[in-house]
Amino acid sequence: MKKLLALALVLAMAFSLVACSGDKASEPANTDTEVVATGETEEVVINGITYNKATDMTQDKITLTYFHFDQDETVQYLANRFMEIYPNIKVITEYEPVGSANDTLLTLVAAGKTPDAIMISDADFALNNFLLQDISPYWNADKETQNLADTVNAAGLGTFMTSKRYAVPVKFFPTMMCADLSVFRTLNIDIPEQNWTWDEMINIIKSAKRDGSVDGTAYYGLGYYNRLDSLYGIASSQDIIGEFGFNGQTFNLGMWAVGEQQFSDLKLGGYVAPQRGVVAEEDALEDWLGDIDAWYGLSGHVALMSEAYWTYQNLWNTEEIKTNYPNLDIVPYVIPAVSAEDATKDHHAIATIDFGGVTSSCQHPREAYELLKFMSFGVDGWKTRLELYSDENYVNASGIALKHDSMPAPITKNQEIWDAYIKMYCEGMDEEHVQRWTNYFESVMQPIPYGWVSIAGYWTYCDQYFNSIGIHELVDKGTNKAADFADEATRKANYFHAAAMLDYFGPNGLNVLSAEEVATYEQLKADNS
Amino acid sequence: MTKKETTQSKPKKEKKVHIRMGSLERREALAGLTFMIPWFIGAAVFLAYPLITSFWYALNNIRITPMGKTFRFLGYGNFTQILLSDQQFLPDLVDYIISTLISVPVIVVFALLIAMMLNQKIKLKGFFRLIFFLPVIIVSGPILGMLNGQNAGSISALDTQAITQAISSVLPAIVAKPIGDVFSNMVTILWYSGVQILIFLSALQKINSSMYEAARIDGASDWECFWKITLPTIKPMIVLNLVYTTVFISNNDQNAIIVLIKAAMFSGTSEKGYGYAAAMAWLYSLVVLLLVGLFAGVMLIRKDPYEQEVKKAKRDMKKEKRQLKRMRRRQARNAKKYAKLETKTVA
Repeated sequence: MKKLLALALVLAMAFSLVACSGDKASEPANTDTEVVATGETEEVVINGITYNKATDMTQDKITLTYFHFDQDETVQYLANRFMEIYPNIKVITEYEPVGSANDTLLTLVAAGKTPDAIMISDADFALNNFLLQDISPYWNADKETQNLADTVNAAGLGTFMTSKRYAVPVKFFPTMMCADLSVFRTLNIDIPEQNWTWDEMINIIKSAKRDGSVDGTAYYGLGYYNRLDSLYGIASSQDIIGEFGFNGQTFNLGMWAVGEQQFSDLKLGGYVAPQRGVVAEEDALEDWLGDIDAWYGLSGHVALMSEAYWTYQNLWNTEEIKTNYPNLDIVPYVIPAVSAEDATKDHHAIATIDFGGVTSSCQHPREAYELLKFMSFGVDGWKTRLELYSDENYVNASGIALKHDSMPAPITKNQEIWDAYIKMYCEGMDEEHVQRWTNYFESVMQPIPYGWVSIAGYWTYCDQYFNSIGIHELVDKGTNKAADFADEATRKANYFHAAAMLDYFGPNGLNVLSAEEVATYEQLKADNS
Repeated sequence: MTKKETTQSKPKKEKKVHIRMGSLERREALAGLTFMIPWFIGAAVFLAYPLITSFWYALNNIRITPMGKTFRFLGYGNFTQILLSDQQFLPDLVDYIISTLISVPVIVVFALLIAMMLNQKIKLKGFFRLIFFLPVIIVSGPILGMLNGQNAGSISALDTQAITQAISSVLPAIVAKPIGDVFSNMVTILWYSGVQILIFLSALQKINSSMYEAARIDGASDWECFWKITLPTIKPMIVLNLVYTTVFISNNDQNAIIVLIKAAMFSGTSEKGYGYAAAMAWLYSLVVLLLVGLFAGVMLIRKDPYEQEVKKAKRDMKKEKRQLKRMRRRQARNAKKYAKLETKTVA
């Protein structure tokens, strides 16, 4: 019996060792074959929409899998339309909510079921696991990529500061500062121009603070979804192309610290409305609106709100809210630039942009790129999206029209798309409001995404340094000044970024950095370690 | 005495006799092995293989790429990083240890009380048993998360904030926080007692009622019956429930360490990933093992008086036997000595 037991254990060990050795990386997909990307197209008309069908795609019957955390019904509709345009390509969509997207995707990859095209929720996750392949040949041959929001190419969004392109913008949500004009009128505050400056915004926030003397309920200057430090960090200079003062190679948290301190001072000064879901602010919220679950956005007592883009169509522009809160008059403003000169023109402003790419094991990268483009920035994809958003009979699983389910904005500058989008978006608005929205949309085409989707090492830095010491909490409580952290935080950010660049793109990674770049990042890493 | 005689006096080594199995015995042995093979395969595939693999993972930095897993051998690097650099793991582990030390006895005592009540002759006994077992079915991971999100895990009448503040004024924060958490999640903790109630119920129903009758004839009260009959009889079940509860709490979806391990496993950062998570899991499993050992040890050390008496009697018997042997050896030595003396005297 003992012999049998020993034999079984030996077998199990041998089995496991063999299994472990089998885990070694297999050969990557053969992407060295000559890339066929001519950019030639032919017209196909489906459902009254004219599509430009790429003619350099395979004629073989293939299957592509698209993994996403976009609005599922929309993606399924787009996939069906793509299959109508390219009947030889079968598209399988796999949806996972963004919160669990990384877990599911990595599980699929570990099981050898890597999708062909994916959305990514943070850059470090995708780069660390070498999920993305270089799609520069397709991107460079594609004329549409030259007609996107300026920063996509100018700030190298999706290239991660290399000479290659690994990701494309999939969903674009410009950030906005919403103003409730009814509050301005009640408090007799001048309504700002669209090209306002940062200081003007701060002055409005301060001047809108009132106790209950007006109508028995206090007024606040600011309600926030996005903290002002993230907004200020980008708005402070046109040289900044990423969070924390990132200039393309190094960070400088000095500017961020100014915005962080300004925001914390506003909070400590009582200019910021209490938030629901924050335990420390529950009492203040109950005293103010009589309910700990009340939302400042419906109070009619907050002048400016740093809201997410989707809040307007998901909430404020729904029939229910318009009926129950008729006094609200919400209009959008672009995040103001700090300098008056920058404010007069279209300037950098932070935005929520989700990226996607073609996976490194994909056997049909040309076709996967076309699918990814159709799902994201492509004009043809947007024509189909507009067909969906314009018809409120297309609803999600909860019966809500797709227009009101976190609809993104086009990142293409194609005028035809934008005209149709603004028409659809502003349906039912008066001329003044249509003009305000049109002005707003014209001012948001210099988006800078949050750091975790565009900068290598950013999320590792946040995970291992910034969030772990709780800088926001310390500054918000008044325990520390933001400037106290700026130097060390800058040093750490530079270190993590340099380490990540070498790790992901250096000689031991994808090996796409030049010798000079490698030396620069090694020096940066050494200087900040 | 000659050398030959000395050799002869040693007891002969018994020769091993190999008895060949009969065909019936061979068949029975074969049948036994056949029945055991599935277990061996299951243990090898689902126990030995994952254990060895996870330990191997813990020694490596692993990247899950579409082309396969890549391993970079770190030795004990992951363990060092977790213990020296991870700012969340150790504080969470301390929280876990303290809250487990408090909540496990609370759950087991609560389960015992409910089981004893359900064992009484009451109306709608089956309905009440169903009510107390329902949380086991309903309270799975996501539902429990949603309920906790709506503050359904705490007793609203209980001023948990005041309790936490009172504890914080007496104890250091590192101890006060997990104790406060136990009070904040009292309902959740009590929901975990469904299976334990069933185990206690089955144990209580197996106690011979004649023991209670005999005790009552001798004048024992209910209180004395509980301490002298009920509790000693169900003691193995108490140990079982302590172990079960510890393991359940440790592997639960709501457990902060499990959440941390899962987050590390799917983390995008290059330092973490499968290897780091496996190292965390190994460290955590050692702590869980120590806790299980602690609970089981505390219960097993305290023997009941009857067992103690029996053991003492056995020890005394052994001692007597040893003394008897010693006496006989001494007698034999003295006999030899006297025999030599007699021989010399005769010479």
